[in-house]
Amino acid sequence: MAFASKSPWVIHYDGSSCNGCDIEVLATLCPGYDAERFGVINTGNPKHADIFLVTGSVNEQNIKVIQEIYNQMLEPKVVVACGICACTGGIFHDCYNVIGGVDKAIPVDVYAPGCAVRPETLIDAVVAGIAALDEKSKTMKNTKKRGEE
Amino acid sequence: MALLGFLIGFPLVIAILLFCIRNEAARSVLVIGGAIVIAVASVVTVALHLSSGFVAFACSSEIIDYVCTAIGVIIAVVIVYFAVRFKNILAGALAVVQVVLSLVFEFGFAHGVHVEYGLYLDNLSLLMTVIIGVVGSGICVYALGYMKDFQAHEPEGAKDRRPFFFGLMFLFLSAMYVIVFSNNMVWLFTGWEITTVCSFLLIGYTRTEEALNNAFRQIIMNLLGGIAFVVALFLCAIQLNTLTFQEFLAYGLLAPAAVTLAVVCLAFAGITKAAQMPFHTWLLGAMVAPTPTSALLHSSTMVKAGVFMLVKLAPVLALSPIPSTMVVLIGGVTFLLCSCMAISQSNAKRVLAYSTIANLGLITACAGVGTPEAVWAACFLILFHAVAKSLLFLCVGTAEHHIGSRNIEDMDLLFERMPRLARFMMLGIMCMFIAPFGMLLAKWATLVSFVDAHQIVLILLLAFGSAATFMFWAKWMGKLAGIAGEPQNVELTVHKSEWGAIVTMVLLIIVACVCLPIISALVVEPYVYSVYGLTGQGISDGNLWIAAILSALVIVVLLFGLERKSKAKKADAYLAGVSADNEARTYRNSLSQTQEASARNWYMDNIFGEHIITMPAHVGTAAIIAAAFVYAIVRLFV
Amino acid sequence: MLVNILIGTVAFALLAPIVGCLLAGLDRKLSARMQGRVGPPILQPYYDVRKLLGKENAHVANTEGVYIVCALVMAIFAGGIFFGGGNLLMSAFVITLSALFFIVAAYCTRSPYAELGAHRETLQVMAYEPMVLLFAVAFYMAAGSFNAGAVFGLEVPAIAKIWLAFIGLLFILTIKLRKSPFDLSMSHHAHQELVRGVTTEMSGPTLAKVEIMHWYENVLFMGWVGLFFVWGNPISLVLAVVVCLAVYFLEIFIDNNFARVKWQSMLKWSWVVALICGGINIFALALL
Repeated sequence: MAFASKSPWVIHYDGSSCNGCDIEVLATLCPGYDAERFGVINTGNPKHADIFLVTGSVNEQNIKVIQEIYNQMLEPKVVVACGICACTGGIFHDCYNVIGGVDKAIPVDVYAPGCAVRPETLIDAVVAGIAALDEKSKTMKNTKKRGEE
Repeated sequence: MALLGFLIGFPLVIAILLFCIRNEAARSVLVIGGAIVIAVASVVTVALHLSSGFVAFACSSEIIDYVCTAIGVIIAVVIVYFAVRFKNILAGALAVVQVVLSLVFEFGFAHGVHVEYGLYLDNLSLLMTVIIGVVGSGICVYALGYMKDFQAHEPEGAKDRRPFFFGLMFLFLSAMYVIVFSNNMVWLFTGWEITTVCSFLLIGYTRTEEALNNAFRQIIMNLLGGIAFVVALFLCAIQLNTLTFQEFLAYGLLAPAAVTLAVVCLAFAGITKAAQMPFHTWLLGAMVAPTPTSALLHSSTMVKAGVFMLVKLAPVLALSPIPSTMVVLIGGVTFLLCSCMAISQSNAKRVLAYSTIANLGLITACAGVGTPEAVWAACFLILFHAVAKSLLFLCVGTAEHHIGSRNIEDMDLLFERMPRLARFMMLGIMCMFIAPFGMLLAKWATLVSFVDAHQIVLILLLAFGSAATFMFWAKWMGKLAGIAGEPQNVELTVHKSEWGAIVTMVLLIIVACVCLPIISALVVEPYVYSVYGLTGQGISDGNLWIAAILSALVIVVLLFGLERKSKAKKADAYLAGVSADNEARTYRNSLSQTQEASARNWYMDNIFGEHIITMPAHVGTAAIIAAAFVYAIVRLFV
Repeated sequence: MLVNILIGTVAFALLAPIVGCLLAGLDRKLSARMQGRVGPPILQPYYDVRKLLGKENAHVANTEGVYIVCALVMAIFAGGIFFGGGNLLMSAFVITLSALFFIVAAYCTRSPYAELGAHRETLQVMAYEPMVLLFAVAFYMAAGSFNAGAVFGLEVPAIAKIWLAFIGLLFILTIKLRKSPFDLSMSHHAHQELVRGVTTEMSGPTLAKVEIMHWYENVLFMGWVGLFFVWGNPISLVLAVVVCLAVYFLEIFIDNNFARVKWQSMLKWSWVVALICGGINIFALALL
């Protein structure tokens, strides 16, 4: 049994955005939607997290931050781009300082569109993320085994 | 007896030679050779007399008595000379008072009293013998390398006064042996005064203004104790017509009320020498001296003479409520308050000084309680404190010469900068405050003895004091343990003599911790039994063995298990995603500047600061002592 | 006695994680219910630990992993000594050693958040240590022995004589279980100013060991609580378990109803409580 999917701990980072998605992400983790039912915990620490929820677009200032947080997360890990700005740059796409969606900075596994992204979409995205997480943890186990052999 | 004579005489000879020799190579040979001989002789003494229990040696000589008198006069002349030279009236006056009193005593009273058995040995003396012989001479060896660096740091053309320094160190050892072996109280007093004046000269070694002030503070406080000692001698000679220490103690057990004042005086002398509040400031001041001096004063000599006296008095204290209350309260209060004040200190030597005073307070309190369990605990506190504290002082001294600071904040990352030293230091620290190491087991026994003696106040003082102890040691240890970046290893230039002494202390700690049950059975229990006719081990053998096993485990991990290299991935520290140079723990702040993320230790100065605690502590403890004296004097005449 | 402790240690090492894990799951479930949520499954802490064990192994300083193993081993010994009927003080001292290793593990990473957490954790130890010692002393005065096994020889449970010390222990238990209002050094709740305090730099398998250590610790502390209610009668064990559950519920209730206090208040109040509850109780026992 893969335990990665049973306890997806998330970390949440808000890039260049209007904060709408940001609020929705936190709302998803609040009692109304009670994401902890599925073992989701909002950790606030990349070293403890499995799923990286990014809202907002990537700009010159925050690209390093996003990359650093991503690098500090341990394998297996999954990135979910939450909201249209995180997916493509959205309404900010042609701003002078905006680089684009999150995939310009780090590899993204799941795209969750919306302006602002709905909690239901987010839960769907996290579920998709969990599947990706399971996949990655299986691959990791196999490579480890092969490495030992 | 020849061995005792050798142990007293040999360091004296070495001391005299060292005073005369100016050649550095010859001095090294003499110090190392002398130290080894003393250490071996101490161990041999222990091995030969371990099973013999209390032995008194017939030894009396008019000549030695006169020599003692002469030494007393010389000491007074030395002190008066310095008092005049540096214009300190109080010290001079006290020295004159003391020498006049002791001369009156010597020629007016003492000659009527014959002491047949001038020397003795029991297991407590043996314990002290090992501590003085191995720890003390180890520190002398350490001083070789240390003083070389010290001299190198002195300004150009400064006079090399190291012969004087090393001579004093060995003289100190000799005087300590006099103290632990003398049954003749006049000889004991002479040894007592030699240690006082030696530490006076050692503290003032650098001759800076601060050093001189602190040296005079030391001498004034210890002269007060010395005068109290002379008064006790008067009382013994007049009231009891004896100057034999053992006889005095025996009288004390038969008629505690009759000796109240004498016991109060001797206990007072012990309290001043053991730097208990309100006299603790002299020991704090003593840290201006070169580190080997501090190590010697704190661990194996000087202050240990004070608690040695108190532990000797313990059976009498158990029967006489007033001196006992004084000693118990002074010890307990000192333990609590000094542990608290140690939290507020960042100077490593000052932290060590406060911790020394606190632990001596605990020993003092144990002596005051005076039950077999308490004495058992006191013996182990003396032993473990001596080895752990000397190790810590030596480590701090070496660190100071290699990182240029004795501030705990500057010991950041020492784990990598001085890998071996930091591990040894951590071992010393752990030995001081955490189970399953010896010091904490001794504290545990202390707690049990307090409970059995229904000393509620002491239990509370101990409980809160131990908590404070945890705070200041743990945060220091945390500072040492830090790892970041790849700092340069600066311990490659540490002198061999320093390593030799430090490793000796480490081995002593390991042996003492792991063999604690054996030491209890062979050394401490027989002593307690010989004094009380009862056993005093407050902790069952099973628990001692569990602790021994656990401490062996921790020591192995600490010394060999903390390798930095590993197959695991190297991760960066979390700096909120904005690292600039992660290894250096710098980040980009909101103005895009590079800034270092660093944390200082936590000192809580406005709760545990000296400025808050010292004053009330002085007043309170002074009042306790004054009350005890008043009561004892009134009892004498009413 | 040594044999008992050995058996106790093995049994504790094997069984305590199961109990501890269930307690932790219960904690999260009950907390969720108190907040009007459904909450995770009871076995969620187990899933978490299994997941953490499967994650990549990475270290900031490498030594923190060693320290954590030491902390875990010492926690097991502490529990083994206690449940093997051994000395209560010894158990308390060894668990303090475990706390020290935990603290040094945080310090050694030289990470600002972990270091702050370590400072506070040290403070917490200083805050609760007096009461722990006084609790052991009070127990000794009531039961006539420091050995936890001595309770089975009692005619009335220790609580009859040392209920005041029990209240004191309950107070500092909130610190020991890292519950609000005293969860200064690290909190089980998300997002706080210290990130995760002491455990900020511990990740993957290392963090899993920390979680397991907490399970051991919690069971040990519940054992201390139960100690008050056990006497010669075997049925009293049931009573002790019931009381433990009630106390655990109380702690969760407190956790969910209080905001964190400042460290000054924590230090002051835990020392005042130790002085009053512990001090008066011991004093009364000494008089009797």
